[in-house]
Amino acid sequence: MKRLVFAACLLALALPAPAFARGHFDPTTEFEQHKWVSIQIGPLDLSITKAVVYLMLGTVLTILLGLVLMRGRVLDRRRTIGEQIYEVAQVQIAEQGLPTKAIGLWFPYVATLLLFIWVVNIIGFIPLPLTGETWHGIPTWGIYAATSSLAVTLALSLLTFVFTHFEGIRWNGPRRYFKSWIPEAPRALLFLIVPLEILGQFMRLISLSVRLFANMLAGHILILTFIGLLFILQSVILAVFVIPIAALFYVFEVVIVVSIQAFIFAALSAIYIGSAIEPQH
Amino acid sequence: MLGIVLAATTGDVTKAGKAIGLALGVGLGALGAGVGIGNIFGSMIQSVARQPELRGELQGIQWLGFALTEAVVFYGLLGSILAYVLV
Repeated sequence: MKRLVFAACLLALALPAPAFARGHFDPTTEFEQHKWVSIQIGPLDLSITKAVVYLMLGTVLTILLGLVLMRGRVLDRRRTIGEQIYEVAQVQIAEQGLPTKAIGLWFPYVATLLLFIWVVNIIGFIPLPLTGETWHGIPTWGIYAATSSLAVTLALSLLTFVFTHFEGIRWNGPRRYFKSWIPEAPRALLFLIVPLEILGQFMRLISLSVRLFANMLAGHILILTFIGLLFILQSVILAVFVIPIAALFYVFEVVIVVSIQAFIFAALSAIYIGSAIEPQH
Repeated sequence: MLGIVLAATTGDVTKAGKAIGLALGVGLGALGAGVGIGNIFGSMIQSVARQPELRGELQGIQWLGFALTEAVVFYGLLGSILAYVLV
Protein backbone atom coordinates (compact mmCIF):
# COMPACT_ATOMS: atom_id res chain seq x y z
CA MET A 1 0.00 0.00 0.00
CA LYS A 2 2.73 2.43 1.06
CA ARG A 3 4.76 1.47 -1.99
CA LEU A 4 1.77 2.01 -4.26
CA VAL A 5 1.18 5.53 -2.94
CA PHE A 6 4.86 6.30 -3.32
CA ALA A 7 4.93 5.04 -6.92
CA ALA A 8 1.82 7.06 -7.75
CA CYS A 9 3.46 10.18 -6.30
CA LEU A 10 6.59 9.69 -8.37
CA LEU A 11 4.54 9.06 -11.51
CA ALA A 12 2.46 12.20 -10.97
CA LEU A 13 5.69 14.09 -10.35
CA ALA A 14 7.27 12.76 -13.52
CA LEU A 15 4.36 14.04 -15.56
CA PRO A 16 4.24 17.77 -14.93
CA ALA A 17 0.76 18.29 -16.29
CA PRO A 18 0.82 22.11 -15.99
CA ALA A 19 3.67 22.13 -18.48
CA PHE A 20 1.71 20.05 -20.95
CA ALA A 21 -1.28 22.28 -20.41
CA ARG A 22 0.62 25.49 -21.15
CA GLY A 23 2.91 24.12 -23.81
CA HIS A 24 5.96 25.64 -22.11
CA PHE A 25 7.44 25.35 -18.66
CA ASP A 26 8.77 28.03 -16.35
CA PRO A 27 9.41 26.92 -12.76
CA THR A 28 9.07 30.44 -11.38
CA THR A 29 5.41 30.73 -12.39
CA GLU A 30 4.58 27.81 -10.09
CA PHE A 31 4.91 30.16 -7.11
CA GLU A 32 2.62 32.94 -8.34
CA GLN A 33 -0.50 33.66 -6.33
CA HIS A 34 -3.75 34.17 -8.22
CA LYS A 35 -6.91 35.35 -6.50
CA TRP A 36 -9.49 32.59 -6.68
CA VAL A 37 -12.11 34.13 -4.41
CA SER A 38 -11.69 37.86 -3.93
CA ILE A 39 -12.42 39.04 -0.39
CA GLN A 40 -11.64 42.68 0.29
CA ILE A 41 -12.37 44.22 3.70
CA GLY A 42 -11.32 47.85 3.62
CA PRO A 43 -7.56 47.97 3.09
CA LEU A 44 -7.26 44.29 4.07
CA ASP A 45 -6.88 41.85 1.19
CA LEU A 46 -8.15 38.50 2.46
CA SER A 47 -8.55 36.88 -0.95
CA ILE A 48 -8.37 33.12 -1.14
CA THR A 49 -5.31 32.07 -3.12
CA LYS A 50 -3.46 28.81 -3.60
CA ALA A 51 -1.47 29.33 -0.41
CA VAL A 52 -4.61 30.02 1.60
CA VAL A 53 -6.25 26.82 0.35
CA TYR A 54 -3.12 24.85 1.26
CA LEU A 55 -3.06 26.44 4.72
CA MET A 56 -6.72 25.59 5.31
CA LEU A 57 -6.11 22.03 4.18
CA GLY A 58 -3.11 21.88 6.49
CA THR A 59 -5.15 23.16 9.42
CA VAL A 60 -7.88 20.58 8.89
CA LEU A 61 -5.33 17.77 8.52
CA THR A 62 -3.48 18.89 11.66
CA ILE A 63 -6.69 18.78 13.68
CA LEU A 64 -7.57 15.37 12.23
CA LEU A 65 -4.05 14.11 12.96
CA GLY A 66 -4.46 15.11 16.58
CA LEU A 67 -7.90 13.54 16.84
CA VAL A 68 -6.91 10.29 15.12
CA LEU A 69 -3.52 9.75 16.74
CA MET A 70 -4.10 10.93 20.30
CA ARG A 71 -7.65 9.73 21.07
CA GLY A 72 -8.61 6.26 22.26
CA ARG A 73 -8.09 4.14 25.38
CA VAL A 74 -6.04 1.21 24.13
CA LEU A 75 -2.41 1.66 23.15
CA ASP A 76 -2.62 0.24 19.64
CA ARG A 77 -0.33 1.01 16.71
CA ARG A 78 -1.99 4.30 15.88
CA ARG A 79 -1.76 5.54 19.47
CA THR A 80 1.89 4.45 19.63
CA ILE A 81 2.71 6.77 16.73
CA GLY A 82 0.86 9.55 18.53
CA GLU A 83 2.82 8.87 21.71
CA GLN A 84 6.08 8.98 19.77
CA ILE A 85 5.24 12.37 18.25
CA TYR A 86 4.24 13.57 21.72
CA GLU A 87 7.54 12.37 23.12
CA VAL A 88 9.52 14.24 20.45
CA ALA A 89 7.55 17.40 21.20
CA GLN A 90 7.89 16.96 24.96
CA VAL A 91 11.44 15.66 25.43
CA GLN A 92 13.30 17.01 22.41
CA ILE A 93 11.63 20.39 22.03
CA ALA A 94 9.78 21.61 25.14
CA GLU A 95 12.16 20.29 27.77
CA GLN A 96 15.23 21.42 25.84
CA GLY A 97 14.11 24.99 25.35
CA LEU A 98 11.56 25.93 27.97
CA PRO A 99 12.20 26.29 31.71
CA THR A 100 10.26 23.80 33.86
CA LYS A 101 7.81 26.40 35.17
CA ALA A 102 6.66 27.35 31.67
CA ILE A 103 6.39 23.93 30.01
CA GLY A 104 2.71 23.49 30.88
CA LEU A 105 1.88 26.87 29.41
CA TRP A 106 3.93 26.78 26.22
CA PHE A 107 4.05 23.09 25.33
CA PRO A 108 0.77 23.32 23.36
CA TYR A 109 2.15 26.17 21.26
CA VAL A 110 5.43 24.50 20.29
CA ALA A 111 3.75 21.13 19.71
CA THR A 112 1.18 22.80 17.46
CA LEU A 113 3.96 24.53 15.53
CA LEU A 114 5.73 21.21 15.05
CA LEU A 115 2.62 19.39 13.81
CA PHE A 116 1.23 22.24 11.72
CA ILE A 117 4.47 23.06 9.90
CA TRP A 118 5.14 19.38 9.31
CA VAL A 119 1.68 18.85 7.82
CA VAL A 120 1.86 21.96 5.62
CA ASN A 121 5.33 20.94 4.46
CA ILE A 122 4.37 17.36 3.67
CA ILE A 123 1.20 18.21 1.73
CA GLY A 124 3.45 20.49 -0.30
CA PHE A 125 5.15 17.39 -1.70
CA ILE A 126 2.00 15.42 -2.46
CA PRO A 127 0.67 16.19 -5.94
CA LEU A 128 -2.79 17.71 -5.54
CA PRO A 129 -5.25 19.07 -8.13
CA LEU A 130 -4.88 22.59 -6.74
CA THR A 131 -2.72 24.29 -9.36
CA GLY A 132 -5.62 26.41 -10.53
CA GLU A 133 -5.07 25.36 -14.12
CA THR A 134 -7.06 22.98 -16.28
CA TRP A 135 -6.10 20.70 -19.11
CA HIS A 136 -9.13 19.99 -21.32
CA GLY A 137 -11.36 20.72 -18.34
CA ILE A 138 -9.53 18.42 -15.92
CA PRO A 139 -7.73 20.21 -13.07
CA THR A 140 -4.00 19.61 -13.39
CA TRP A 141 -1.99 18.16 -10.53
CA GLY A 142 1.04 19.86 -9.08
CA ILE A 143 3.12 20.37 -5.98
CA TYR A 144 3.14 23.58 -3.99
CA ALA A 145 3.86 24.28 -0.33
CA ALA A 146 2.28 27.16 1.53
CA THR A 147 5.49 27.46 3.55
CA SER A 148 7.39 28.33 0.37
CA SER A 149 5.71 31.73 0.57
CA LEU A 150 7.46 34.27 2.80
CA ALA A 151 4.18 35.73 4.07
CA VAL A 152 3.24 32.45 5.74
CA THR A 153 6.55 31.84 7.48
CA LEU A 154 6.88 35.50 8.48
CA ALA A 155 3.44 35.35 10.13
CA LEU A 156 4.48 32.21 12.03
CA SER A 157 7.75 33.74 13.21
CA LEU A 158 5.99 37.01 14.14
CA LEU A 159 3.84 34.92 16.49
CA THR A 160 6.98 33.57 18.17
CA PHE A 161 8.55 37.05 18.21
CA VAL A 162 5.54 38.66 19.91
CA PHE A 163 5.13 35.81 22.39
CA THR A 164 8.83 35.95 23.27
CA HIS A 165 8.79 39.59 24.32
CA PHE A 166 5.34 39.38 25.86
CA GLU A 167 6.41 36.49 28.06
CA GLY A 168 9.75 38.12 28.87
CA ILE A 169 8.01 41.23 30.14
CA ARG A 170 5.26 39.29 31.92
CA TRP A 171 7.61 37.04 33.90
CA ASN A 172 10.43 39.50 34.60
CA GLY A 173 8.88 42.95 34.40
CA PRO A 174 9.92 45.36 31.66
CA ARG A 175 12.97 46.74 33.50
CA ARG A 176 14.60 43.44 34.33
CA TYR A 177 13.77 41.98 30.94
CA PHE A 178 15.27 44.74 28.84
CA LYS A 179 18.23 44.91 31.22
CA SER A 180 18.90 41.23 30.45
CA TRP A 181 19.59 42.21 26.84
CA ILE A 182 22.69 44.10 27.98
CA PRO A 183 25.51 41.58 28.36
CA GLU A 184 28.31 41.83 30.90
CA ALA A 185 31.07 43.69 29.13
CA PRO A 186 33.44 46.57 29.75
CA ARG A 187 31.51 49.83 29.88
CA ALA A 188 33.43 51.32 26.97
CA LEU A 189 32.32 48.52 24.64
CA LEU A 190 28.63 48.68 25.55
CA PHE A 191 27.74 51.29 22.94
CA LEU A 192 28.95 48.79 20.34
CA ILE A 193 27.40 45.67 21.82
CA VAL A 194 23.94 46.92 22.80
CA PRO A 195 22.87 47.95 19.26
CA LEU A 196 24.08 44.56 18.04
CA GLU A 197 22.02 42.79 20.70
CA ILE A 198 18.92 44.77 19.76
CA LEU A 199 19.57 44.07 16.09
CA GLY A 200 20.03 40.40 17.00
CA GLN A 201 16.51 40.24 18.40
CA PHE A 202 15.16 41.32 15.01
CA MET A 203 17.58 39.10 13.12
CA ARG A 204 15.94 36.14 14.87
CA LEU A 205 12.70 37.10 13.16
CA ILE A 206 14.41 37.16 9.77
CA SER A 207 16.45 33.99 10.23
CA LEU A 208 13.50 32.02 11.60
CA SER A 209 11.20 32.95 8.72
CA VAL A 210 13.77 32.87 5.91
CA ARG A 211 15.15 29.47 6.96
CA LEU A 212 11.82 27.69 6.54
CA PHE A 213 10.76 29.73 3.50
CA ALA A 214 14.01 29.35 1.59
CA ASN A 215 14.34 25.65 2.39
CA MET A 216 10.92 24.83 1.02
CA LEU A 217 11.26 27.21 -1.94
CA ALA A 218 14.68 25.82 -2.90
CA GLY A 219 13.40 22.24 -2.60
CA HIS A 220 10.48 22.93 -4.91
CA ILE A 221 12.57 24.96 -7.36
CA LEU A 222 15.13 22.13 -7.55
CA ILE A 223 12.53 19.49 -8.36
CA LEU A 224 10.62 21.69 -10.78
CA THR A 225 13.75 22.94 -12.53
CA PHE A 226 15.16 19.50 -13.14
CA ILE A 227 11.89 18.37 -14.68
CA GLY A 228 11.59 21.72 -16.43
CA LEU A 229 14.93 21.17 -18.14
CA LEU A 230 13.09 18.67 -20.35
CA PHE A 231 10.84 21.44 -21.63
CA ILE A 232 13.38 24.26 -21.64
CA LEU A 233 15.96 22.28 -23.63
CA GLN A 234 13.24 20.49 -25.67
CA SER A 235 14.77 17.04 -25.42
CA VAL A 236 13.12 13.81 -24.33
CA ILE A 237 16.40 11.88 -23.97
CA LEU A 238 17.26 14.08 -20.99
CA ALA A 239 14.46 12.33 -19.08
CA VAL A 240 16.85 9.46 -18.38
CA PHE A 241 19.04 11.77 -16.28
CA VAL A 242 16.58 14.37 -15.14
CA ILE A 243 13.78 12.31 -13.65
CA PRO A 244 16.00 10.18 -11.36
CA ILE A 245 17.71 13.34 -10.07
CA ALA A 246 14.35 15.02 -9.47
CA ALA A 247 13.12 11.86 -7.71
CA LEU A 248 16.28 11.82 -5.58
CA PHE A 249 15.73 15.42 -4.46
CA TYR A 250 12.08 14.60 -3.86
CA VAL A 251 12.97 11.74 -1.52
CA PHE A 252 15.61 13.85 0.23
CA GLU A 253 13.14 16.65 0.80
CA VAL A 254 10.32 14.40 2.00
CA VAL A 255 12.44 12.19 4.27
CA ILE A 256 14.80 14.73 5.82
CA VAL A 257 14.09 18.38 5.11
CA VAL A 258 10.34 18.42 5.82
CA SER A 259 10.65 16.95 9.31
CA ILE A 260 13.85 18.77 10.23
CA GLN A 261 12.52 22.19 9.31
CA ALA A 262 9.34 21.64 11.33
CA PHE A 263 11.45 20.40 14.25
CA ILE A 264 13.88 23.33 14.01
CA PHE A 265 11.15 25.92 13.86
CA ALA A 266 9.43 24.51 16.94
CA ALA A 267 12.71 23.97 18.82
CA LEU A 268 13.99 27.48 18.14
CA SER A 269 10.62 28.96 19.13
CA ALA A 270 10.85 27.05 22.41
CA ILE A 271 14.43 28.21 22.96
CA TYR A 272 13.59 31.86 22.23
CA ILE A 273 10.53 31.88 24.50
CA GLY A 274 12.41 29.97 27.19
CA SER A 275 15.36 32.34 27.11
CA ALA A 276 13.03 35.31 27.47
CA ILE A 277 11.23 33.77 30.48
CA GLU A 278 14.49 32.93 32.20
CA PRO A 279 17.21 35.33 31.00
CA GLN A 280 20.81 34.33 31.53
CA HIS A 281 21.66 37.17 33.89
CA MET B 1 19.18 28.45 -14.91
CA LEU B 2 17.25 30.01 -17.74
CA GLY B 3 19.58 32.98 -17.51
CA ILE B 4 22.59 30.82 -18.20
CA VAL B 5 21.06 29.33 -21.34
CA LEU B 6 19.89 32.70 -22.65
CA ALA B 7 23.20 34.40 -22.00
CA ALA B 8 25.02 31.76 -24.02
CA THR B 9 22.73 32.22 -27.01
CA THR B 10 22.14 35.96 -27.16
CA GLY B 11 25.45 37.27 -25.86
CA ASP B 12 23.67 39.66 -23.50
CA VAL B 13 26.34 40.93 -21.07
CA THR B 14 23.92 42.11 -18.37
CA LYS B 15 22.29 38.71 -18.22
CA ALA B 16 25.65 37.00 -18.18
CA GLY B 17 26.68 39.16 -15.24
CA LYS B 18 23.48 38.35 -13.41
CA ALA B 19 23.93 34.63 -14.02
CA ILE B 20 27.51 34.78 -12.74
CA GLY B 21 26.36 36.70 -9.68
CA LEU B 22 23.64 34.15 -8.96
CA ALA B 23 26.02 31.23 -9.36
CA LEU B 24 28.71 32.87 -7.22
CA GLY B 25 26.25 33.69 -4.45
CA VAL B 26 24.87 30.17 -4.25
CA GLY B 27 28.24 28.55 -4.80
CA LEU B 28 30.05 30.45 -2.06
CA GLY B 29 27.12 29.89 0.29
CA ALA B 30 27.28 26.18 -0.45
CA LEU B 31 31.05 26.21 0.16
CA GLY B 32 30.59 27.54 3.69
CA ALA B 33 27.69 25.26 4.47
CA GLY B 34 29.60 22.26 3.10
CA VAL B 35 32.49 22.88 5.47
CA GLY B 36 30.10 23.44 8.36
CA ILE B 37 27.98 20.35 7.77
CA GLY B 38 31.08 18.21 7.34
CA ASN B 39 32.36 19.53 10.64
CA ILE B 40 29.12 18.72 12.44
CA PHE B 41 28.86 15.14 11.19
CA GLY B 42 32.58 14.57 11.70
CA SER B 43 32.34 15.66 15.32
CA MET B 44 29.22 13.54 15.74
CA ILE B 45 31.04 10.43 14.49
CA GLN B 46 33.96 11.12 16.82
CA SER B 47 31.80 11.65 19.87
CA VAL B 48 29.67 8.58 19.20
CA ALA B 49 32.83 6.52 18.71
CA ARG B 50 34.06 7.70 22.10
CA GLN B 51 30.79 7.48 24.00
CA PRO B 52 28.21 5.41 22.10
CA GLU B 53 25.72 5.65 24.97
CA LEU B 54 25.28 9.40 24.32
CA ARG B 55 24.06 8.89 20.74
CA GLY B 56 20.42 9.65 21.51
CA GLU B 57 21.15 12.92 23.27
CA LEU B 58 23.66 14.01 20.66
CA GLN B 59 21.32 13.33 17.76
CA GLY B 60 18.99 16.19 18.66
CA ILE B 61 21.88 18.65 18.83
CA GLN B 62 23.31 17.26 15.61
CA TRP B 63 20.14 17.85 13.60
CA LEU B 64 19.69 21.30 15.13
CA GLY B 65 23.24 22.20 14.08
CA PHE B 66 22.71 20.65 10.65
CA ALA B 67 19.61 22.70 9.92
CA LEU B 68 21.15 25.91 11.25
CA THR B 69 24.24 25.44 9.07
CA GLU B 70 22.32 24.30 6.01
CA ALA B 71 20.24 27.49 6.12
CA VAL B 72 23.40 29.44 5.21
CA VAL B 73 23.13 28.24 1.60
CA PHE B 74 19.62 29.53 1.42
CA TYR B 75 20.55 32.96 2.73
CA GLY B 76 23.08 33.08 -0.11
CA LEU B 77 20.47 31.77 -2.56
CA LEU B 78 17.91 34.34 -1.43
CA GLY B 79 20.38 37.18 -1.66
CA SER B 80 21.48 36.20 -5.13
CA ILE B 81 17.92 35.65 -6.36
CA LEU B 82 17.08 39.13 -5.05
CA ALA B 83 20.09 40.53 -6.88
CA TYR B 84 19.12 38.56 -10.01
CA VAL B 85 15.54 39.80 -10.01
CA LEU B 86 16.02 43.38 -8.85
CA VAL B 87 19.21 44.52 -10.62
